[in-house]
Amino acid sequence: MTEPVAAVEIEGVTKRFDDVVAVDNVDLAIDDGEFFALLGPSGCGKTTTLRMIAGLDLPTQGSLRIFGEEVGMAPPDRRPVNTVFQAYALFPHMTVRQNIEFGLRMRRVKDPELSQRVAEAIGMVRLAGMEERRPDQLSGGQQQRVALARALVNQPKVLLLDEPLGALDLKLRQEMQQELKALQREVGITFVFVTHDQEEALAMSERIGVMSEGRLLQVGSPREIYERPSSRFVADFIGRTNLIEATVESSGTVRLANGVVIEAETSAPAGSDVAVSLRPERIRVQSRGAGVSAGASLDGEVGDVTYLGHAVVYAVTAGPTLVEVRNEGEVGEPFAVGDEVTVSWDHGAAAVIAE
Amino acid sequence: MSGVVEVGLGRRTRRGLAVWAWAVFAFLYVPIVVLVVFSFNASSRVNIWGGFSFQWYGEALRNDVITSAIRVSLIVALVSTVVSVVLGTAVALALDRYRFRGRRALDGTVYLPIVIPDITMAVMLLVFFAEAFKFIDSFGPRFTLGISTVALSHIAFNISFVCVVVRARLDQFDRTLEEAARDLYATGWQTFRRVTLPLIMPGVAAGGLLALTLSLDDVVISAFVSGPGSTTLPVYVFSSIRRGVTPELNAISTLMLTASIALVLGSLALQRRRAGAGRQTQVL
Repeated sequence: MTEPVAAVEIEGVTKRFDDVVAVDNVDLAIDDGEFFALLGPSGCGKTTTLRMIAGLDLPTQGSLRIFGEEVGMAPPDRRPVNTVFQAYALFPHMTVRQNIEFGLRMRRVKDPELSQRVAEAIGMVRLAGMEERRPDQLSGGQQQRVALARALVNQPKVLLLDEPLGALDLKLRQEMQQELKALQREVGITFVFVTHDQEEALAMSERIGVMSEGRLLQVGSPREIYERPSSRFVADFIGRTNLIEATVESSGTVRLANGVVIEAETSAPAGSDVAVSLRPERIRVQSRGAGVSAGASLDGEVGDVTYLGHAVVYAVTAGPTLVEVRNEGEVGEPFAVGDEVTVSWDHGAAAVIAE
Repeated sequence: MSGVVEVGLGRRTRRGLAVWAWAVFAFLYVPIVVLVVFSFNASSRVNIWGGFSFQWYGEALRNDVITSAIRVSLIVALVSTVVSVVLGTAVALALDRYRFRGRRALDGTVYLPIVIPDITMAVMLLVFFAEAFKFIDSFGPRFTLGISTVALSHIAFNISFVCVVVRARLDQFDRTLEEAARDLYATGWQTFRRVTLPLIMPGVAAGGLLALTLSLDDVVISAFVSGPGSTTLPVYVFSSIRRGVTPELNAISTLMLTASIALVLGSLALQRRRAGAGRQTQVL
């Protein structure tokens, strides 16, 4: 048995622009058929990483393989990948059909294969009847589809998408998220997409790589990234969280800054400083004195109440720390500013981040 | 109350402006009308109307000196336009996208021919040719002023104009389109041919028309660098006018006018056809 070859394999890749290090020694393997998201704030190096896979930027050092073949220094026309650009980059002087045909014509694909594949691609993105239009005669969603068809018609081994939904309004974006997922299942090729929108990354991808300041901080499934962030940055960037300073007591317990000892799994050695990440929606808020079922709890006072309709967010001051609590759905008795309360959570809810 | 509300100028002011506008038009166009009308004058006196006739067109076209000047003008215009469009576009592309040693200096000097006076340029070129010939002649071949020096001089100033016009177009060019082409397997040359060039074409065409017009129009520089037998039409007209305006000159001028109007109309039609086929065609 040989190990399956990764679709994209990045090894020790660094990209410097003059004095700026855009991508800093990144190692990453993306599996065949995977929907992978590169997530991070703007300027974190995610787009540069994508562009290096596409061949639009060349790595300063490191190795980049696509299905086992070294392509780090190959020009874009020699790589089995295609890109959906951020603002689509459709050719304005060509019709929808000419745009979609472009890659095939460059590869000297001839009729009847050419027209058959173009027709398939147009059908796949539901653009039949639009073939003779120009890009400026299409809506944003339709342009997005042309960009997808133009890339997919070439049957690339890896499809790269640079903030593909960034230019669309919220409703259309949610529709396209579903559509992209369905499309990826249909064609079965590896999708690597870049986004700064953590919800989008969580909703769409099988695995996420979180980047910050040129470094790849954590790679994992959306659940792993959300529930078990490996760094303060990841915990803070993905969703909202409470980060509480703590010290490891033993392998199963940590002491919070206010002296309360809670149970939490960690591999960090005893005595080391860590942070505990507590997601607001995993914390309950109760009146002081009401029985706390299990897990850990803190006593505090309601400092602020924000009513959001589907949820109520409480800011609870517990000693030196401020805890944000989010009660969804069945809210129970509403609390007011100044109420004495107890916040509690189950054992599994606290994630320890070793520094 | 519905309807358009009149804002601003009173009736009197508006009438005054209209009269002024017509006066300006008259100032611009009456001389042209007079020129055209008198080119059909049967009389040999320029300022006395002697009935309608094509006589002077015939005379002009039978005159070997004139037909030779027309031929020289056309050859010079075509050659200098083609060469300067290619070179000017290349310079514009280089300045727009590459960083190289001396880029700044080139960026500054490439536009010089636009701002320095024609007469300075003419003297410069003449001195340059004289020195160059002295140098080349020392190796054997003998060069003299002629149609090739005229063409070279026109190329020299036309490159700048083409470059300016093409660069204005390149300023609005979205480079990700080229990346998209590269990503879709186009080589560097294919990307230029299929994406870059079609999109900057309106600028290139406009630069070419400008070059053509400037070349057909030039008197000062051509007069300095032309030799015997390489007189251009404007130079011929200019030199013969010293012997007085003849109906023949009116006829030639009318022909030149017609040609330049045809050029402008042709370019407009070309642009309109493109605009019908797609958006990218606003000139500049």
